[in-house]
Amino acid sequence: MTENPDNDYLVFIFPSVSHALKAEKLLKAAGEAHKLIPVPRHISSDCGVCLRIARAQRPGVAALLQGKVTWEGEAPLG
Amino acid sequence: MTTTVDARGLACPLPVIMAKKAIETQDRITVLVDNAMAVENIRRLAVKTACGFAVTEREDGFWEIALTRTGPPENTPVGVPAADGEDLPVCDGRGEKNAEPLVVVLSDNRMGRGDDILGDILIRGFIHTLLQLQPPPVRIVCYNAGVKLALADSTVLDDLRDLEKSGTEILICGTCANFFGVTDQVAVGHISNMYDIVEILAGAGRVVRP
Repeated sequence: MTENPDNDYLVFIFPSVSHALKAEKLLKAAGEAHKLIPVPRHISSDCGVCLRIARAQRPGVAALLQGKVTWEGEAPLG
Repeated sequence: MTTTVDARGLACPLPVIMAKKAIETQDRITVLVDNAMAVENIRRLAVKTACGFAVTEREDGFWEIALTRTGPPENTPVGVPAADGEDLPVCDGRGEKNAEPLVVVLSDNRMGRGDDILGDILIRGFIHTLLQLQPPPVRIVCYNAGVKLALADSTVLDDLRDLEKSGTEILICGTCANFFGVTDQVAVGHISNMYDIVEILAGAGRVVRP
């Protein structure tokens, strides 16, 4: 698996795939490490994809998205 | 005397077929199996044939099932779908020690046809989720635009590397990498050729192409 265990990650959930893609572009441009992954089974979302980041990135990522992309929620992975 | 049918190590649906054959000629049999799927299939056989069913899980990783006939033998074929499909043995591979090895073919750098952006999201999700399969695929074969997934700048590179670490062999079509001029950028798996690819696909138990 990946280097971090799942509990070191957070996922941002978005209302649609295009919201998730827009957020990904912003993170990419800002050089924030991230991964677009299928929404884990234990979280319900119509959109199907979410953005995974390390927990430590949460404040920076939230500031980056604030006012630019709406997100539905955040959840720990695992 | 009780006949013992030792079906340990046998792939589905053999255990339930052997159990059915034995209970047709004996009033009481003991069946040994080593997976939960076989237990469930034999439980369904017992219901279908009105046999007594008792299962004991043994410490050394197998189950001992006692089947006792309570009525005259019924000639119900096993493995032939009934109208409601109820007497089909369930052989979905999960929990089966002898499930056929899985080969995944990545013949494109996107999943499905229609929209390229969506196809890109889907293939990333597919490969990431492959990591959660137990057991993982034995091989992943990348050809045509699928080789682009294995390049140094690929968004799925870390997932493919994790799959490789978990034991999946990743083969990259050399002709394809050469055609796209990316041979020196391949960052996971190993360059392979049509001989290997044909042999792997022809010999695969199961092939999945997203």
